[in-house]
Amino acid sequence: MIKAKAVGSSTRRRSVRGPGILVAALAIVASACAPGASVAPSATTVSSAPSSSSAPSTSSAPSASAVAAGPSCGTAPVVLNGYFETGFDLPFKLSAEFTKQFPNVTWNISQDQFANLMSSTPRLLAGDNPPDLIRLPTIVSLVKDNLLKNLDSYATAFGWDKWPASELSQDRVAADGTRGSGSLYAAGLNYSLTGVFYNKKEAAQIGMTQPPTTLAAFEDLLAKAKAANLQPIMAWNASASGGGLAFPLQQLMAALGSTQPINDWIFQKAGATIDTPTNLAAAQHLQQWISAGYFNKDTNATEYTDANARFGKGEGVFMFNGDWQDAAYDTAAPGNVGFFIFPSATDGGPVAAMSAPLTYGIPAKAKNADCAAFFLNWVATNAAARQVDVTVGGSNPGGPTDLTIPPAAAGSIINDTLAAGGAVAKSNGAMDFIANSTGTIFAKGWTPELQKMVGGKETPDGLLKAVQAEYLKELAP
Amino acid sequence: MIVARREVLTGRLVLLVIVAITVLPFLSLLSAALQPSNSDPLGIQWPSDPQWSNFVDAFNVAQMPALLWSSILIVVGVVPIAVVISTMAGFAIGHLRIIGGRFIFLLFLLGLTLPFEGIITPLYYLVRDLGILNTKWAIILPLIGLYMPFAVFWMRAHFINMPTELSEAARVDGASTLDLFWRIHLPLARPALSALAILLSVWTWNQFLLALVLVDDPLQRTMAGALGAYQGHYATNIPLLCAGSLLILTPTLIIFLVFQRQFISALLQGSLKG
Amino acid sequence: MDDSSLLQSSHRTNVATELRTRPSRRVRSSNVVGWLFVVPALVMYAAFVLLPLVLTVQYSLYHWDGIGPSQWVGLKNYVTVLTDPDLLGVILNAFKLIVFFTLLPVSLGLVVASIMRRVATGRFGTMARTILFLPQIIPLVAAGIAWKWVLSTSGVVNQILSAIGLGGVTRAWLGDFDFALPAVGIIGAWVLIGLCTILLLTGMSKIDPALYESARIDGAGAVREFRSITLPGLRQEIGVCITVTVIAALASFDIVYVATGGGPGLATTVPGLDIYQLAFAGREVGLASALAVVLFILVLACVLPIQRLARGDET
Repeated sequence: MIKAKAVGSSTRRRSVRGPGILVAALAIVASACAPGASVAPSATTVSSAPSSSSAPSTSSAPSASAVAAGPSCGTAPVVLNGYFETGFDLPFKLSAEFTKQFPNVTWNISQDQFANLMSSTPRLLAGDNPPDLIRLPTIVSLVKDNLLKNLDSYATAFGWDKWPASELSQDRVAADGTRGSGSLYAAGLNYSLTGVFYNKKEAAQIGMTQPPTTLAAFEDLLAKAKAANLQPIMAWNASASGGGLAFPLQQLMAALGSTQPINDWIFQKAGATIDTPTNLAAAQHLQQWISAGYFNKDTNATEYTDANARFGKGEGVFMFNGDWQDAAYDTAAPGNVGFFIFPSATDGGPVAAMSAPLTYGIPAKAKNADCAAFFLNWVATNAAARQVDVTVGGSNPGGPTDLTIPPAAAGSIINDTLAAGGAVAKSNGAMDFIANSTGTIFAKGWTPELQKMVGGKETPDGLLKAVQAEYLKELAP
Repeated sequence: MIVARREVLTGRLVLLVIVAITVLPFLSLLSAALQPSNSDPLGIQWPSDPQWSNFVDAFNVAQMPALLWSSILIVVGVVPIAVVISTMAGFAIGHLRIIGGRFIFLLFLLGLTLPFEGIITPLYYLVRDLGILNTKWAIILPLIGLYMPFAVFWMRAHFINMPTELSEAARVDGASTLDLFWRIHLPLARPALSALAILLSVWTWNQFLLALVLVDDPLQRTMAGALGAYQGHYATNIPLLCAGSLLILTPTLIIFLVFQRQFISALLQGSLKG
Repeated sequence: MDDSSLLQSSHRTNVATELRTRPSRRVRSSNVVGWLFVVPALVMYAAFVLLPLVLTVQYSLYHWDGIGPSQWVGLKNYVTVLTDPDLLGVILNAFKLIVFFTLLPVSLGLVVASIMRRVATGRFGTMARTILFLPQIIPLVAAGIAWKWVLSTSGVVNQILSAIGLGGVTRAWLGDFDFALPAVGIIGAWVLIGLCTILLLTGMSKIDPALYESARIDGAGAVREFRSITLPGLRQEIGVCITVTVIAALASFDIVYVATGGGPGLATTVPGLDIYQLAFAGREVGLASALAVVLFILVLACVLPIQRLARGDET
């Protein structure tokens, strides 16, 4: 890398010397009559790559004066640019509530589906007009490229360092590029939890009176559902939403093995691998489920929103998903959807769940960074915001320990998921999501490989080896 | 031509089938668009209770007026300039036969089969460095450039068939090259020009890749780009998605039906020459 | 188009004599002015096509994530493109699409155009022409959205199959490893059939009707008539159809992006989509650029011979 010659710099040379006049001319044309140009173009900024000198220390820290006064949205009108994920009401409801409390702040919100979001994020952040607040599927590579604002000084200013350390650890990146510790680069709107949702009526039909306490018991229920001509599991696995079969797979991994190696792999600890004997066993279980016809036949063409709509209408006894979906299920099938933590392989064994902050970050080049940070703090500490977090988001709002979790409506699934959160915490079973390990591990690794498995074109062993190879390829310098 | 009655019948039947297949996706969109919002419609079903309000909702959530305006501005930004400069170049290469014209022409031809995806990456960095990312200019300026191979090719083909005697006569009367171009050849080139303008307008309106990569805000995009964003946005709600898609298509369909003869002949000539 | 080459050659001799007799000063001044006429088009072309093209080639020789520093790797990216099984599969997908984007529209177009020429005159014919042309003017994105719905689990295709007792073969077509690519191909064919049909129909109208008359007198059947008169007469139009549709297949993006996102697995990932994903999501700008260069070369390698074949004996 020392001998590296920047494509960017040679681009610059080329465009200035050769067609340089022309590029400059175009820039003049553009600046002279660009009506929508939100950023003043200048002919001199013809550089294709930001030089490495623009380190986060200079560009990412909030201004000292702002910190002294406490970062805020001020009183002048502010338009916050948000980039949210399609299909999730929470950020929209939160932003509306925020505007109600701070009328000088209005929102300009764009949204897209998860997979599209993942592919456009680096481009959005590197662009001239990045959003102020963006849903981030994964942060490490973005941090490496200085695209995200370092939130450490905000954390100090707002007192986030007094929150339970586990809440923010997933959004920390160390200097060596591993996640889990180091500087803070994002924060959660809330702290979600995954597990298994079930259709109460259909579950009763197959004789389920209590949530299963072992993996074997759960698989027994799947077989019964199949025999009863019910759809055992509703799942999404289409490219646009990303491979949803990663949810049951990771639950199986944690049920059959421990969460530590999985987290190490996700946090990119040196030498970590996904190709372990217990993970292989997990993938084998998943393959059995596929070949037994437990998943909906069209799962490879089913998108996330589609799967949820169908589950809400009664198609599927079980669905692997997270508590962010609580409110939607409460609406679609009031009182008929329940939730349980995925059981361990052994009775009474430790339970685990993917438990991740609903990660939102502030781009390094965001224009209203202080206001966006103020919003993140407000979400975690304001009573009304925390209530929205629970009723709309269905998840633990996190924040300081001295604030209680606002109550959910009686009979809501939210009560189940919040209670389940306690059980997971007790057995220390929180994991991040295996799709978040590297920037494109989901799009280039898990999703195509899981789709192949559904199509009968990939073995459990091949799946893990292929994903590990993709992982190493992406981590290679 | 005398054709047997039986042949007429079978022939028309085959045609009807093909026409039906062509229309099918549109009908399916319409049928789904008329089902209750957020419902789970079937392929084609009789709208027993047609929900025309879906179109109103889609019109509002898709911000149709803003989308239309953005697309129109982009077309207005691209087409006149592209037509004028390519006509000038075609005139110089095809009619004035400038020295080195053949080489220039070959240079333009090189770009004729270039897939846009092939240069989208550097185009992104170029547009970013010009500071016009996320503005309509990010689509307008590259498109003008990308249209040059075809447009110059097209106009050259026109001018090369123009008899030189015309220019000779004008020259004798003391006309400058500019006069020649402006007073004599431009008016004569009107059919070729209007066909080119139609083609470029359709292509611009339907341009997706540049919009996707270079402009994030759907309201600054072309119609196709906006449609792509709309699909990402409302994938949840099939009736609303279908209603919105149909709405976004409507302006194109209306203009096509009104000017269909010009459209068809322009596109035919376009592909013949391309 | 039909007699342009004739015009062209006669015109060329005119110019030659004209050039010889014209005073040299005027030639020079008209050359200077002429070049000024070319400059605007050339500038736009150079800035937004040639320069990016050169840059693509340059990027393709580097390992670059698009943001940080880059590293010279020579032809390594090309080796990857030409040896990585995934990438080769992606390129192969584009060629498989040719079957649907080219073969189907051209052959069906020939049939439909022959029918239209013979039986669909008047109002019915005009209406059929208009409708067949519709897919050509709507954005490909719209075609993708409409067909994604048509081919979905509860879409029309499955509805029809169930209605005629083929419920057993229904499936989510775009999520099926064996059918997703053909399904994408069908979408492309749907878009292109109208264009091919009408192009071929126009070509047929230029064939001298006397040829058909004499063939009929000789007692030739419809098939022989088609083979010995229609087909040879349409050589050029067929060449154009093939060229346009092959480029559409190799450079496909919009339809795939909307309908399948390249899945399931990599079953429908085409080079255009992979370039986009590699460059902007995977941030392997170098590899994406190498794939772009390979794609460009492949398009040229396919199109040039077709052009030569179609126009070969006319000059």
